[in-house]
Amino acid sequence: MNGKLGERVVRKDAFDKATGKAQYVADIRAKDMHYGIVVRSPHHAAKILKIESDSALAVDGVVAVLTSEDIPGEITYGALIQDQPALAHKVVRHIGEPVAVVVAKTKRAAQKAKTLIEVTYEPLPSIQDPVEALEEGAPKVQSGGNLITEYHICDGNLETGFAEADVIIEDKFRVQRISPGYLEPESSLAEYKEDGSLKVWVSSQEPFEDQHTIARVLGIDIEKVHVKSAVIGGAFGGKEDPELQVLAALCAWKCNANVQMVNTRYESFVGHPKRHPAQFQYRVGVQRKSGKIVALEATAYVDTGAYASYGPAVAGILTETMAGAYHIPNVKVDTYVALTNSPLSGAMRGFGAPQSHFAIESLIDVIADKIGMDPLMVREKNILKPGNKLFTKVPLDETALALPICIEKSKEARERLSGIQAPPGKIAGVGMALAMQSMGLGAKIIDTSSHRLEWLPDGRVRIYLGAPDLGQGLATAAEQMAAEALEMPYESIETVFVDTNLTPNGGVTCASRMTYMTGNAVIRAAEKMKKDLLDDAARLLDVDIQSLEYRDGEVLKNDGTRIAVGEITSRLAEEGKAIIEESSFTFPYPEEKTPDHLPIGMPHVMFVFAANVARVEVDLDLGTVEVTHLSTVNDVGKVINRLGVEGQIEGGAATGLGYALYEDVALKDNGQWVDSFTEYLLATTKDMPEIESTVLEIPEASGPFGVKGVGEIVLVPTAPAIANAVFNATGVRVNQLPISPEAILEGIALKKY
Amino acid sequence: MQKLSITLTLNGENVTVDCVANQTLLDVLRDELGLTGVKDACGGEGECGACTVIMNGKAVNSCMVFAGQADGAEIETIEGLAKGNDLHILQKAFMETGAIQCGFCTPGAIMSAKALLDHNPDPSEGEIKEALSGNLCRCTGYKKMIAAVQLAARGGKADER
Amino acid sequence: MINELNYVTPAGLDDAYSLLKAEHFWPLAGATDLIPQMRRMELPVETLVDISCLPELSSIRLNQTNLEIGALCTHGELVESKFLQENAVSLVEAAASIGCQQTRNRGTLGGNIANASPAADTIPPLLTFDAVVHLGSQQGKRTMRLSDLLIGPGKTAIEAGELIEWISFVPLKGHGLAFLKLGKRNGMSISIGSVAVAIALDKSGVINDARIAMGSVAPTAVRCNTAEAVLLGEIPCAELYDKAGEVLVDDISPIDDVRASANYRRITASALVKQALSIAEGRIQ
Repeated sequence: MNGKLGERVVRKDAFDKATGKAQYVADIRAKDMHYGIVVRSPHHAAKILKIESDSALAVDGVVAVLTSEDIPGEITYGALIQDQPALAHKVVRHIGEPVAVVVAKTKRAAQKAKTLIEVTYEPLPSIQDPVEALEEGAPKVQSGGNLITEYHICDGNLETGFAEADVIIEDKFRVQRISPGYLEPESSLAEYKEDGSLKVWVSSQEPFEDQHTIARVLGIDIEKVHVKSAVIGGAFGGKEDPELQVLAALCAWKCNANVQMVNTRYESFVGHPKRHPAQFQYRVGVQRKSGKIVALEATAYVDTGAYASYGPAVAGILTETMAGAYHIPNVKVDTYVALTNSPLSGAMRGFGAPQSHFAIESLIDVIADKIGMDPLMVREKNILKPGNKLFTKVPLDETALALPICIEKSKEARERLSGIQAPPGKIAGVGMALAMQSMGLGAKIIDTSSHRLEWLPDGRVRIYLGAPDLGQGLATAAEQMAAEALEMPYESIETVFVDTNLTPNGGVTCASRMTYMTGNAVIRAAEKMKKDLLDDAARLLDVDIQSLEYRDGEVLKNDGTRIAVGEITSRLAEEGKAIIEESSFTFPYPEEKTPDHLPIGMPHVMFVFAANVARVEVDLDLGTVEVTHLSTVNDVGKVINRLGVEGQIEGGAATGLGYALYEDVALKDNGQWVDSFTEYLLATTKDMPEIESTVLEIPEASGPFGVKGVGEIVLVPTAPAIANAVFNATGVRVNQLPISPEAILEGIALKKY
Repeated sequence: MQKLSITLTLNGENVTVDCVANQTLLDVLRDELGLTGVKDACGGEGECGACTVIMNGKAVNSCMVFAGQADGAEIETIEGLAKGNDLHILQKAFMETGAIQCGFCTPGAIMSAKALLDHNPDPSEGEIKEALSGNLCRCTGYKKMIAAVQLAARGGKADER
Repeated sequence: MINELNYVTPAGLDDAYSLLKAEHFWPLAGATDLIPQMRRMELPVETLVDISCLPELSSIRLNQTNLEIGALCTHGELVESKFLQENAVSLVEAAASIGCQQTRNRGTLGGNIANASPAADTIPPLLTFDAVVHLGSQQGKRTMRLSDLLIGPGKTAIEAGELIEWISFVPLKGHGLAFLKLGKRNGMSISIGSVAVAIALDKSGVINDARIAMGSVAPTAVRCNTAEAVLLGEIPCAELYDKAGEVLVDDISPIDDVRASANYRRITASALVKQALSIAEGRIQ
């Protein structure tokens, strides 16, 4: 198999990464490179009365101090709502908001000058809770109301549904703000070229969007902005925000200099998007004997921080998944997205599903407990089947067959894990959660991904990859799929990373869809390439095209002669020609699957499914939770790189673990946010459970080789599985993340009375 | 600002470099010597291990060493592991096991692992976890990193168990 | 960012003392607490006096009955010391629990004490050993009980120009020792409660010596005298340890912070003491 599909493939970029040669933005050196450092708001909300930069400008080596007054074009940008100023304009709305940028010839000068900039603020009242932010009299975060988006989706008849229930359960859930936590802080290098154009290096999920945003903020033609992707040190959604590339470009433009900007970890915490915190209220009606959920009513409050960022879109997926992977006939969900004076909440891996699943998957176990049924049985009784419609009225296809398999595998895992004895002083429990993650940006959003293939003179193939590889291995997957489609060895494929001058626009790498989209585009391009090859071969060999066949990198003549591709392509090169094909793939929203009644960006119509079973040991005296085992089932449609899929599962588990137990960008008593790795705790090697993975391959009909998207779902069931395991162990239901040992001890103590 | 001139034995070679007193070894490596394998991921607080180098035989966070303290020291960085295209066994193992995704934590993790194997060529899984516990990673979940160190400890041979 | 500063390497200990007399001259050893604090602009350091290589302060030795540990011994060196493993295992366990290998290869015992975080891990075991701190300056030498040296969070009785040279104690004979630490995760764990215990039994199996010290539950690490008193003269058993855990509340004064609430610290302090006593009992020779 040419593309080594399903095998454990070593990534080509691993060499540079293992040797320290890989160039991330902060590693790139430009000529006479200047440094930009951001002055950020220390207040949750304040008027900017004055910015004094004279002392800063007097520092030797400082060339400029820029504020919003210096922005030539549009001051604000935003993926969905254009409300986010590149530099704060007259008012600051969260701690960490950029107020000014110092540009200097050396880092030292820039750092020194930063301390000399005096900003006079008049603090304003501020609000941090999204529910309170929507109450009458709450301080306004922006000039309009704090409610920026709301969704109301109904299906069936709630009243009838509740009337049919013999058990009604109400519960509340709450999830915290977490950081994408990529190890590479945000960075950008903008080079000012002699011809007056800018070449901007980015660590970004959306280089083409960055190009547009930069052009708009600078008020210049897009042709003057060339954006190039450096090696990216992780993104997880957090690098869909163009803050630094816009500022670096602004500095380069205004100072006619090459300017590098790199965030410190503190700045990454306060300045860059986080996962949306949310609060949920649920009311469900259940039939005790059958275990069927007949009615579900839920409300969600989503905190998007001081600016919209991806709030409306995250809230969309959150809303669509609030009823989980279950077929519930009567549903009403209401979601409210509120502005608060907090650091931005934006895109982060899972994009609303981790939040909603903590709620619904915990609730299933609450239901099971109340009606005295095995929680896996409750799931079995309610899961969606092919042909069922979600409450968004989207029908599910055969890929929903992953769900009962997930439950079966979970039963086996639960059996095994339940047999392990807890050590003295600890109590063990096993819990499970299902997950459903959407692929794609949502209906009515044009989502096209373009990539180009070129057959090089020596017969190797070059992919001009239009979307960034975030580190997850998109390039490797693209190379494997191209190799497979072109029947060429995987080793003969190379990739050019996203470059607005060189590659087509592949779209934003996000939403569990880029391998799927890229693969489809590459397969189409490959088909065209093979046809072009035969056309050219027929001409060069002066034979009828009908007498030629292409197989495994060779053109076969009907007389048995075999001609290597390289022979054809080298002859073409002599003629000044090459075989190049660009192809696009648009994410499909087939009419029969895509109801029309929902707001833009909804519904999603393609889903992936997974389950986690977690075994925990709880220390009865300390309340501490150790996750000893995590058994995972993920349906990926088709494994392209097995190492890549396993890596996503294992990495996702670490993030899910952190969400469940350790991570919290909390507001401290001193009014500051948790803003360093000292207090923001990622899982370390010593915290990880033993992970076992079952990978299902139920092909997605529209997917390249059957591929679906695994990047996000891998962490969605983890936190609720852990919460359910804690309940199984202790009888204590913790409905808030991160699960605190104190809450467990309180719960245990309450149970004793 | 006080200027310093420090001499390191850097990846086996004597190197003298001009720097200033408030620079750390991380700053010197990246900004003065152009060795960008070490990374600043946590703001120089010693919380993430992405800047790990081996100093006088021990793994240290280079962001926690002042430049002057490195004078006279033997420093090993990721750039010194390979001999041309001949990779160190740990580098090969990290690549082979799929322990590298975004790669930002990789140089630090490999140096921590090397420090371990240099002292303890046959470490237990617990010892590997302990040695790598100061190297944060957001991509991999660590499982393949641990497998990589085990593979390297076995001389790159498949596990016959 | 670290402010501009100067860096000097003293020729020896005496030279170091001469330099440290000046204002804003700061001793530099492992830097693992110093650098983060300097980055947060918390320290008025103008000149760093690098004492990290002074050989006089880097050894572990037995001086008649006294075990003397040089202030510049790193936590990694404490962990690897066979002598400490055999005679002061709770100190070894505490040192091993600090940070990660990178931190332990640089951070020093003297630094851990002088920084005087309420969460400092090496201090509780040293308090159970009634450790004495040997200080030096240009004025001369003096000693102080470790318990007297600690004044408050980040505050000690170390005077300007003074350095910790040695920490000494008489290793406890026949005692069972244990150290436990509670953190929010297993790796790179910052203590939200730590306990060091040492207990010994007389020939009839009755506790004739009990020492309990805790970290992260008071402005400084503290000996828990009320809990110790309850154990003396009694036969060890779970109920006795429960009692010690209950009266412990009189010995500690935990606070709320981002890591844990005072209430949680109180509850878990009792649990940690009970667990540690149990382990220590099992280690009595």
